[in-house]
Amino acid sequence: MMNFYMAYQPIIDFFLIAVGLGYSQQIALKAGVFSIATAGFAAIGAYTSAILVTRYGIHPMISVFAAAAMGILASWILSLPLARLRGAFQAIATLAFVQVVIALLLYFSGFTGGALGIINIPRVVNTGWLLLAVGVTMYVVWSLNRSKVGRVFGALREDDSVAASLGIPIQGYYTLAFILSGVIGAVFGGMRSLYVFNIEPVDFGFAAMVASLTVVVLGGRNTLLGPIAGALIMAILPEIARPLAENRGILNGVILILVITFLPNGVGDELVYWLRRRFRRPSAATLGRTVTKGGANVSAH
Amino acid sequence: MLLQQILNGTVSGAVYALFALGFTLIFGVQKLLNLAHGAIFMAGAFIAYYATINGLPFWFAVVLAVIATGLVSIVTDFVAFRQLRKQGHAEFAAIVTSLGVDLILMNIAQQVSRTQVLSFPFGTFPVEFYRGFGMRISLLQIVILVLVVILVAALYWYIHRTSFGRQIRAVSSNETTSALLGVSSQSVYLQTFFIAGALAGLAGVLIGLQFNSIHFMMGEPFLLQAFVVVVIGGLGSLMGAVLAALFIGIVQSLTIAYLSSELSIAIIFTLLFVTLLFFPNGFFGKADTFARGSRR
Repeated sequence: MMNFYMAYQPIIDFFLIAVGLGYSQQIALKAGVFSIATAGFAAIGAYTSAILVTRYGIHPMISVFAAAAMGILASWILSLPLARLRGAFQAIATLAFVQVVIALLLYFSGFTGGALGIINIPRVVNTGWLLLAVGVTMYVVWSLNRSKVGRVFGALREDDSVAASLGIPIQGYYTLAFILSGVIGAVFGGMRSLYVFNIEPVDFGFAAMVASLTVVVLGGRNTLLGPIAGALIMAILPEIARPLAENRGILNGVILILVITFLPNGVGDELVYWLRRRFRRPSAATLGRTVTKGGANVSAH
Repeated sequence: MLLQQILNGTVSGAVYALFALGFTLIFGVQKLLNLAHGAIFMAGAFIAYYATINGLPFWFAVVLAVIATGLVSIVTDFVAFRQLRKQGHAEFAAIVTSLGVDLILMNIAQQVSRTQVLSFPFGTFPVEFYRGFGMRISLLQIVILVLVVILVAALYWYIHRTSFGRQIRAVSSNETTSALLGVSSQSVYLQTFFIAGALAGLAGVLIGLQFNSIHFMMGEPFLLQAFVVVVIGGLGSLMGAVLAALFIGIVQSLTIAYLSSELSIAIIFTLLFVTLLFFPNGFFGKADTFARGSRR
């Protein structure tokens, strides 16, 4: 076990970061928000942490909390226009948000280091801290799923007009989904910056956006297992497909197309649904949600 | 100086219009975002480049690129959208599958070009400048403007004055009803994807000529630009896309000239945000389009 850990430690750590960012992406999609802003939140968190630690010598632990606060602020501001939009328009607007964040990081180069980014960030985050952060995030997401909020998110995703007609303040819940996505994204962005020594704006561009979206699409958009399964595939795939390294884009593209076409719920979600169908335990019902897409009808209340 | 910048902005805006027209056409008909559009644009420049350096005459290379990108676009439809149309709720899924096609095309281009920045051989297109009213305009810029005006007029004519165009508009307003009335939505999809891809491919060639650089990531900024254009113009509105493209082109060249290029990006995307906030249907979209309300 220890040997395995030693050999694959970087992969495990990046896997954990990917899981965290995956939850940030998932929680937005769970509420039916087509946000792809996770990369932007991660950038904000990463730069907050990195600047506080390197420039002002603030304790890394506190800097991560500051990153979380910035994530809440940014996502709240972002939610003001976005909670009023739907569907593809949200996707476009969040895409624009990420571009604005990157452009500003490049422009205020005196403060952010411009295209060179910030170097010499102390590495204080290790697997333990990442595990802790993922654990806390999972607990939050899990308890959300079991609470009224989770059920409201499900209702919003399935049909927001029905949700509104049931007296649910949908703007408020969309805002909440954004803020949760923002704070998780910023925390893991901050932890990433305290792990990788240096950050630059390119780290949070289109590729990062695609990466966190991929994790959730592959894994699944509803269950707790989703981002873990997705991140696991994305972590293992490059190892298995080493000879294909040059063609990783093709591989990723083909997998995205195949999964969304034939397993639209994602590998992790399909697995959970299958297990629930197989064993029909009441624990499925305590999630208190009826899942309709893809024929996986779990309504054992 | 100011007039010169406005002229330059108009020319780049004209190319954005070619790109954005295809994008908005697909959205208008299918209500889906085609994220592979940027890669198809890039493919146009690549095909024209490789045809030219392999000794084909330039005009032929351009025609080849336009037809080939039209076909690539049709293949994109087959691979990424066709299956989803059958299943329903495709909006999110289409973003992902077209992203998949985008990744595949970019990877192929990266392999083919060995990640290098390519440029058309000198003299592919005659370099000539004309002066007047204190401005300078190149032959290429004139050709671009004329070409775009002709193509936009032709597309407008095709959509609004021919039977094919009527079918496209019928499918875009209601697919089921038009199918009941005997319109083959399959042929409409083929047409729209071919037109969209061909326009993007031509835009790719023109941009490759104008900036003299072709690389596998060149489509990405244009795709992002196209989002701004179609949102401001109103998703699905052709005239809106053209006017918004010209507007964005001018704003961009002015901000780059007088401020900085990073700030220009920030300003343009802030513009997108403000538009979404106050005019979510854009300035030319129909009042009942799909920005708000139900996601079905």
